[in-house]
Amino acid sequence: MAKKLGKKARKFANKHLQGGAKRSRKLRSQFNRRTRKDGKGREDGGRLDGDGDEEMRRSDPTVNTHDDVATLANSLEFPEDENEFDGDLSDSDGYLSEDPECPYYSDSEDGNVLKDSIVQDGLDGQNNDMNLAVKKQKKKLKKLLDKDPEFANFLGKWESELVSHESDEDSDEQDEMDSGDDGVDAGDKNPPSDKILTSKTISEWCQLVSKDPKAPALRNLLNAFRDACRFGLHSSSLSTQRLQSTEVFYQIITFILSEADNIFRSLLDIPDDDKGKLMNLRNGQKWQDVEPLIKSYLRNCLDLLSQLTDNQILTNVLTRLRASAVYFSAYPSTSRRLLKILIHFWASGDQSLSLTSFLMIREVVSLLPDCLDLCLTKGYNTYLSSSKLVDNRNIKNIDLFMNCLVELYSLDVQKSGERAATSVGQLSAILRQVSKSKEKEDLLKIDNWQYINCINLWVRFICVNYKDCHNVHSLLSSVAQIIRGVAYLLPGMRYLPLRLKLAQMLNELLNCNQMFFPVPSLIFGCLEFREIFQKEQTEKTNIHFSSLLKVPRNLLKSRDFQEQCILSAIEVLSAHFAQWSYHVAFPEVATIPLILLKRLHEQTTIDSLHRPLKRLIDQVSENRDFVQRKREVVSFSPNDLSSVESFLEDEKMSGNASFTQYYESVSKNRQSRGRKFV
Amino acid sequence: MGKSSKKNKVILAPPLPPELDDDEIVVSEDDFDFVKENPEHACNIARQDIKAFDKFVTRVADHDDEKVELLYEERERKRRAAAALKPRNDDELEVDPVDALPVKTLDGNVVYNRPAKKARSGDEANGVKSRSQDKGAGATQGSQKEPKGRSNKKEDSKLQNVQSPTEVPKENLHSVVLEEVKEELSSDELFEKKKAQLAELGMALLEDPESNIRSLNDLLILCNDMDQKIVQLGIMSLLAVFRDIIPSYRIRQLTEKELAVEVSKEVKKTRYYEYTLIRSYKAYLQKLIALEKQPYFYLVAVRCLCSLLDAAPHFNFRESLLASVVKNLSSSNDVARKLCCEAIRSLFRNEGKHRGEATIEAVRLIAAHVKLHDCQLHPDSIEVCLSLKFDEDLGKDDSKEDKLKPKKNKRYQNRDVTKPSEKKKIKKEMLSKARQEVRADLRAVSFTLDPKEKKMIQRETLAALFETYFRILKHSMNTSRYKTTSVFPGGSHPLLAPCLEGLGKFSHLIDLDFMSELIACLKKLSGYTDHQGEILPDNALSVSERLQCCIVAFKVWRSNLEALNVDLQDFFVQLYNLILQYRPDRDHGEVLADALKTLLWEGKQQDMLRAAAFIKRLATFALSFGSAEAISALITLKHLLQKNTKCRNMLENDAGGGSLSSLVAKYDPEAKDPYLSGALATVLWELSLLQKHYDPSVSGMASNVLSMANLNATQNPVQLSSANPLEAYKDLSMGRELSKPAGKVLTLKCKRKRRSKEFVALSPDVLRKADCTVGEDELREKLQSHFAVLRGISENERLRTELNHTLSSINMYKEYKKQKKQSKKSRIGRKKVTRA
Repeated sequence: MAKKLGKKARKFANKHLQGGAKRSRKLRSQFNRRTRKDGKGREDGGRLDGDGDEEMRRSDPTVNTHDDVATLANSLEFPEDENEFDGDLSDSDGYLSEDPECPYYSDSEDGNVLKDSIVQDGLDGQNNDMNLAVKKQKKKLKKLLDKDPEFANFLGKWESELVSHESDEDSDEQDEMDSGDDGVDAGDKNPPSDKILTSKTISEWCQLVSKDPKAPALRNLLNAFRDACRFGLHSSSLSTQRLQSTEVFYQIITFILSEADNIFRSLLDIPDDDKGKLMNLRNGQKWQDVEPLIKSYLRNCLDLLSQLTDNQILTNVLTRLRASAVYFSAYPSTSRRLLKILIHFWASGDQSLSLTSFLMIREVVSLLPDCLDLCLTKGYNTYLSSSKLVDNRNIKNIDLFMNCLVELYSLDVQKSGERAATSVGQLSAILRQVSKSKEKEDLLKIDNWQYINCINLWVRFICVNYKDCHNVHSLLSSVAQIIRGVAYLLPGMRYLPLRLKLAQMLNELLNCNQMFFPVPSLIFGCLEFREIFQKEQTEKTNIHFSSLLKVPRNLLKSRDFQEQCILSAIEVLSAHFAQWSYHVAFPEVATIPLILLKRLHEQTTIDSLHRPLKRLIDQVSENRDFVQRKREVVSFSPNDLSSVESFLEDEKMSGNASFTQYYESVSKNRQSRGRKFV
Repeated sequence: MGKSSKKNKVILAPPLPPELDDDEIVVSEDDFDFVKENPEHACNIARQDIKAFDKFVTRVADHDDEKVELLYEERERKRRAAAALKPRNDDELEVDPVDALPVKTLDGNVVYNRPAKKARSGDEANGVKSRSQDKGAGATQGSQKEPKGRSNKKEDSKLQNVQSPTEVPKENLHSVVLEEVKEELSSDELFEKKKAQLAELGMALLEDPESNIRSLNDLLILCNDMDQKIVQLGIMSLLAVFRDIIPSYRIRQLTEKELAVEVSKEVKKTRYYEYTLIRSYKAYLQKLIALEKQPYFYLVAVRCLCSLLDAAPHFNFRESLLASVVKNLSSSNDVARKLCCEAIRSLFRNEGKHRGEATIEAVRLIAAHVKLHDCQLHPDSIEVCLSLKFDEDLGKDDSKEDKLKPKKNKRYQNRDVTKPSEKKKIKKEMLSKARQEVRADLRAVSFTLDPKEKKMIQRETLAALFETYFRILKHSMNTSRYKTTSVFPGGSHPLLAPCLEGLGKFSHLIDLDFMSELIACLKKLSGYTDHQGEILPDNALSVSERLQCCIVAFKVWRSNLEALNVDLQDFFVQLYNLILQYRPDRDHGEVLADALKTLLWEGKQQDMLRAAAFIKRLATFALSFGSAEAISALITLKHLLQKNTKCRNMLENDAGGGSLSSLVAKYDPEAKDPYLSGALATVLWELSLLQKHYDPSVSGMASNVLSMANLNATQNPVQLSSANPLEAYKDLSMGRELSKPAGKVLTLKCKRKRRSKEFVALSPDVLRKADCTVGEDELREKLQSHFAVLRGISENERLRTELNHTLSSINMYKEYKKQKKQSKKSRIGRKKVTRA
């Protein structure tokens, strides 16, 4: 269905809507969804106006920076199993036989229809013009017909020819597309109603249903919902003509979405999400009765999801639908379809939509563990393709996506652990290959966002699961090795942002496993004093390390770069110090970095750096003296491990030491700074 | 300027054809005919002969025999008759002073003109004059057998001078010729033709060099072609030919005595062959050297030169080959530089090919080159010297033998005294004389040197090498003026790094006399100043270079049996400070590890205070740098602890502040002087943290070291590995680690299979955000507009089809009319037909 709509809409837009920016924004995600499949994203992208670009790029994996990366992506991605079977619900179109007794109010509100057709809309003007043109031409035709009555016969013949020809052409497509739609139960005595739905009718039905869920009006409502969901799919079909007013559309959709769950629950007598109970019910009479209704509801919801384009509505619909997730578990293959749609939203939507769809996915997957594999693969691949390009705007989305993915992977550590091992193996294989040749082209295989984000994903995964799953250790050491390897293969000032990122990852890793790693050695390069070649800069170049892997050459010697450099270095250093601030060897940990910091503090010519540097130096010295004082009075030796462990245990627990507080303020600063940038 | 030098040349040229009597005549006659037939080519041949003249000059040098001379004189006359054509051609072109030269050459007097030539040639007096001058020239020039003479080089350069100007008119000539030919042949055809000619000549030469030796000339002529491609092909094919046909011996110049002797036809043939070969070889080299100056031919020429040097280091004209190859050692062109380095290295490696003579020449040339350029060369030009090979016992045996020899002599003398038998003595002398002769002959043939001679050569090579090295060291000491000018990698002292490396490698061969000066030099270079605590901010040398200075100093000291009375304490201080200045990405970790190994690991027992200071600093160092650096530091530390058992107290925390409190009570981690650091008073807490190191080998080593605390002084912990710091460093360095096969990632086994529903990665903040939904009104509006859009689209579509339909219906009307007309017509026609 989605296909059908997308194709049509696109064709249509290509033909007639060149200038309609507003329109195209509305239709955008339809296009995008489409382009994901046929890979013509750029074409449409060019036509979109500026603020569409970002989303566009994110959702369109075909925009490659270069082929190398693309091939890399393929090598990193998990193979996807594409064959899908969607048999559960599609055997019927979900039309429910109605009780003819239901109240129906014919159009007493024609005025309404007229009124709300004036909803401002770019197309309306065009439509009006066309309407006029049609009228004009018809008049002309009529004149001709009047003039020559024989022509009418001729025309009739031609028309019938045309129709038969068209039907020949379209028959294949039609068959395929409409097989579901036409499969109206043969035994159904009542053909689909083609009465126009009025607002009054709907409100009446709604009232009836809310009073008594078993009321026959429910069927009517669900049918109306079906029509609403498929509105616009087939302009010629009857269902479209049943809906004339926007008000009615709104009424149906909101009512069903908000009430359906409750209604079904009361029909089935299940108070909460209890899967077992639902499964038990499946053989009972009650289920038999209600099942078609649920089926219709779910199916139409899917249609609705694939039709809607607005992030907010989608978020809303998904939030409502989440309550009914349990019903999906009864239809595994439909769930798969749902998951695919959801994963798409997850990857391409804005923050709230992404999060909502993720929550829905999680819900469904936890009910249907069989689908987990699908989600893990798809989610991972989507993550990879969406993290190809990182800029200031999408960095938060990628972060969120990654966190969600980790969440998903943490559902079943056994299963996902294998995947993680495979992926880490691939990463390290690429690294080894690169280290062998060290060609410039090969270096691009690790010098890209995909690679780095992939590492980051597993770092996060390991951190989250380290406590529960101690065997993650082997994974951890290979990830640590990859991080070191990347830092080793990409040396130099230009890669400083990347290096800082790696250092952050290491800090994260080490914090969870309490191992020692000399993180500062990675960033000593930052702490060297460098001359600034600065032509009096009038405008401040904004350098955001978070969205950079390497610094553009022209900024290397700029003041801003240096400043950023050192500020980021301070963050990494303080994280490292914070980790060991209660250890008995802290004074020694701090010795060499402190020397460097002091020298930098003396030499630097950037005034804005003096204060943060001084503060760090003071804090570290203070903590050093503190530890030194404390350890002077202890009597154990360095080889007494347990005593070393318990050194300053109490202080650590309380977390009152000044350095801990300092670190907290630094990390808070960073977060706020990060927020400011995005 | 020209006149005097020209004169010289002029004098050299005349006594052309010394050895090859009959053959020569034949040749000149041939030439004569040839010249008659096609005068254009003759010009070239004649020019070739001019070059030949020059060469011959050298050969004739020692001739005394009047008779022979006369014969030559006659022959020359004939030759000159042939050559007479050439000057005429030259004049026709343009009167070039250099071109005019050969004419005057013959006389030895500038005054003589071409017409006078014939008259003069018969002139005995002139002949004598020229002869005597020849002799003089020959003497200064030195024979070709001993090409080391300086005059020879001068001669070469002079020859080049002559050669290059002559090329200009040659090309002019060619263009004239070409112009004619062009009328018949298109340039492509010409190219193909010349290519084929090259191939033919080359193949013929390779098939049977003996009989086709004269084709070399033709090939050389082709190399003067206008077409650059042809020239390139020409020199390439000549290279292939020469590589193949150059004999494994050096062609010696014949003495007059030898020339005087009647020889068999075979010998004559061989002589002619050799003569032609050497003449064309020289011409070829000159051509290459000239071409090397043109950017277009640069690479090809260098490639040819290198290849020749590689193939024939024993053959004549090695010195000019070497000179140009050495010059290109520091070429800015990477490819050319690589080629030259490789050629020189192979020269050093395969000394058997040239008896080591080329080695010393090359090293001397390099030394001169370094001197000339004031040490501003590419590092590669010194680095090649690392491939030099010296006998290990070179230095020692020498002295031994010297000691032995006098003894022997004495004994001989004694014996001589005791054995008065004169006869026997004479007999013995004769015997030994004969033996010596045989040995000399053998040596000349077999290319093997007797050890003494070999030693001599090696000693001289060493001297030249160390001269270069010291020059570089001296230069590095007083600089800072080249700071920014250097274009070569390696900062302001491009040659220092390979120089230090070389000094380290050959440290055992350094003369003891230089030692103290060298050490002082190194000390200064390593950044040591007498003023404690003051580090020169603008020290031009990098940390790695300074570390290397320390290493070299120790190597030198140690390899001379540590007999040297040099205080190396300062180098320890230097290392102590350099450890803190090390930066992982900027400096080479391997150098540091090497320094640790050389200074600390290999050393004997250290001073306790110093050892303690190093132990503490190394432990701190291990905390701040990667695992490779850490492991090398820990291994050194462990070694120090093993050797200095008293320092093991640092492993324990004595409540009383340690029994070995030193002068300085408080530890200063940044101390400049190891003796003042107060390290003995500290505890090695670092090790407890290093035990938690993520790298198992580092943490293992740390635990190993810690376990020493429980052992008494004589015991040592279990040896983990016997690697020295450098090996350990290399083993753990990232590059090595990445080349190791990937460890298999174990499949994970987890306690808990599935997680309950709590969130682990997402913060509750974020989750809360997800729940807030859109307001009713907004939702309504959006849904409605969505609907409106859909409706609009479907409406639009409907209208469009309707419009199209109507329009096409209207269009159909025309067709309908047409049909109607037709049917009418046909009806009318039919009617007509029926009517008819």
